[in-house]
Amino acid sequence: MANLAVDLKEKSTSKSKINVTLSKSFKIWISALTIAFLIGGYFIVERFFTGLAATNLSSITPWGAWIAFYIFFVGLSAGSFLLSTLIYVFGMEEYERVGKAALFTAIVCMIVALTFVLMDLGRPERMLNAIIYWNVTSPLAWEVHFYLVYIGLLTVELYIAMREDLVRAAKTNSLKGFVAKLITFKNATINAATKKRDHMWMKILGTVGIPLAILGVHGGTGTIFAVVKARPAWHTALFPIIFVVSAMVSGTALLLAMYIIKKKVQKQPIDQGMVVSLAKLMVGFLIIDLGLQFYEYLIGWYGLETEHLDTLATMMASEKAWSFWIVQMLMGAVIPITIVFWKKTSQNVNALLAAAVLIVIGIIGVRFNIVVPPLVVPVFHELPWGNYAPTIKEWMVSVGVVAMGLLIYSFGELLLPIEETSDEVSHNGK
Amino acid sequence: MGLFSNEKKVDYDKIVDKMLPDAKKEMDESQYDTELGLNMARDARKVISGKLKIEDFHKVYSSSLTKEFGNYYASGDGPDIRKGDGPKWAMVIDLKKCVGCDTCTVSCKAENRTPPGISYNVVMESLEGEFPNIKAVNLPRPCMQCDKPACAQVCPTRATYKMENGIVAIDNDRCIGCRYCIVACPYGARSFDFGESYEQEMQGANDVTSPEYGVERGNREKGKTPIGTVRKCSFCFHRLQRGEEPACVETCIGDARFFGDLNDPNSVVSKLAASPRAFRLKEELGTHPNVIYLR
Ligand code: SF4
Ligand code: SF4
Repeated sequence: MANLAVDLKEKSTSKSKINVTLSKSFKIWISALTIAFLIGGYFIVERFFTGLAATNLSSITPWGAWIAFYIFFVGLSAGSFLLSTLIYVFGMEEYERVGKAALFTAIVCMIVALTFVLMDLGRPERMLNAIIYWNVTSPLAWEVHFYLVYIGLLTVELYIAMREDLVRAAKTNSLKGFVAKLITFKNATINAATKKRDHMWMKILGTVGIPLAILGVHGGTGTIFAVVKARPAWHTALFPIIFVVSAMVSGTALLLAMYIIKKKVQKQPIDQGMVVSLAKLMVGFLIIDLGLQFYEYLIGWYGLETEHLDTLATMMASEKAWSFWIVQMLMGAVIPITIVFWKKTSQNVNALLAAAVLIVIGIIGVRFNIVVPPLVVPVFHELPWGNYAPTIKEWMVSVGVVAMGLLIYSFGELLLPIEETSDEVSHNGK
Repeated sequence: MGLFSNEKKVDYDKIVDKMLPDAKKEMDESQYDTELGLNMARDARKVISGKLKIEDFHKVYSSSLTKEFGNYYASGDGPDIRKGDGPKWAMVIDLKKCVGCDTCTVSCKAENRTPPGISYNVVMESLEGEFPNIKAVNLPRPCMQCDKPACAQVCPTRATYKMENGIVAIDNDRCIGCRYCIVACPYGARSFDFGESYEQEMQGANDVTSPEYGVERGNREKGKTPIGTVRKCSFCFHRLQRGEEPACVETCIGDARFFGDLNDPNSVVSKLAASPRAFRLKEELGTHPNVIYLR
């Protein structure tokens, strides 16, 4: 990977026709990511040799950090995809600027999520068994299929969303133009008819994608947990719905944060109106999410079932409760809601950026609190309790996988017309 | 180990072969068709090893057998093979007899050669009531071999499945190690094989393994199946195949465990299962365990 950035530069010098100018900040960013990826990569390779002994997992707590990250990234993906449908299906043009980025983020997040699943398998080399020997009563097997269909759909949709830009770019002599020439047909044109056709397909794919993302991908991921009657804290019908809503929260927050950071780094003007309204949307989802969670905890507590009470106690009143109170509640809810509603900060782009970043971190906490506490409490009181905290190796593998995702995203943005220039906004995607 | 290390290994099979009569010569001496006899013997071995279905065997030989034996051979379509008519294995554990000595746990580990951190059977001990009115409850917990197993329901690959004899089996060669089944089992009966070994404490510990489900896998080695997959009690399926009871039943010092066929109304387990003392764990979950307790 380290050579890739160099390669690109060399290409630009040898083939002087294609001119690539990588900004300094981009180079620093890529080098930092590459270093993170290489360090993480070492631990990923090591993990394949040692197996799951590299983790702190046990037969009592068989799922941990990697599963938490897996559902976190599935959530980000579903969330950012659903946000993109607001634009392409429901015609909310005010969010136009993040449309293609949303689709591309959704794809990369799925790749990261599936990589986390792969890390977590005891026998990663047999992963295809879940497709070959599909067990129709297993939500997990269904999910694997849904994920693949979903990634395919996202890819097609992104391609159509970029088509006009690709055709335009193919005529230029930039790196993007070079890539665009590779993936567009020679006779591709833009006219009123193709515009209409593209627009129609965006709408169709987006519409098919909505149930796929809600019911299949993210609701389905929630279902993986909700069907487990052995763990009362998961076994509620509300659980998949909370998954979808929290996906919307994290997806919106991620896109908002990415948009602001990118514009800041590139020193381009920020569309403040859009930022403020996206932030409102994000907090709106968050409040619904909190409401659902409240009922979830209340009803679980009221049921007085021992395991359920133990799970709630593990989450909210054990030495690991900081991840609930500080990460999930304070950072992930109280502070961002305050920022978005407080007069002094509600129009401030920097403050809203902080709110978005805090929400993304908060949702990581939510995901850990979903996975770990119900698996710390044993299924019989007499059995030993779990005691799980990720090992350094688990963290490093996670760093490597996330760095991989960010590298894919960065190179994607470098090579594909993901970002829109403001003059294109008006006639694109509509 | 060192016994044969310097010499060539003695081939016991060869010694046995020498003792066997020559099949062709024996058949020639009999009044029946030599070739038919030899072919049938060859295919019968295939049936035993599972490579040939018994129905197919009958189909192939039915006509030539009628020719050879005439009226003596009158089986028609072959034997009546009824489905679901075999045994349905079940275990009854009498909690009044259990003294909490953990012999079952130890004998299970010895029988199944389970690595550190994995016990197919545990005895959950608790004290009920307040001193001086207390009662010790010892609750042995193997896999319940549920009729509606939550583990098989969620397994994405069908590596976990219910056999006709009632035992819930794991195909360790198919399992991808996702551990969904461990999460889903309401009885905590499943363990993941992280690859640990007793080799440190006991030399040669890896050389002896147990033929779980009748599959002999040889030495325990890094990365070799079942490492990286999920394991659990199989009612000692390999012992049942030899006509022996599960190790925990055989070794129980209080004679608290009974094993048998629930499809046979006259078996001890059927009778005990009908007793008013009988109950199952977490019955409200609808998993319908085949391990029945007597309170
Ligand atoms: S006790 Fe657990 S592992 Fe055994 S069959 Fe039932 S659900 Fe499956
Ligand atoms: S760990 Fe193996 S047996 Fe268990 S659910 Fe996954 S594939 Fe099935």
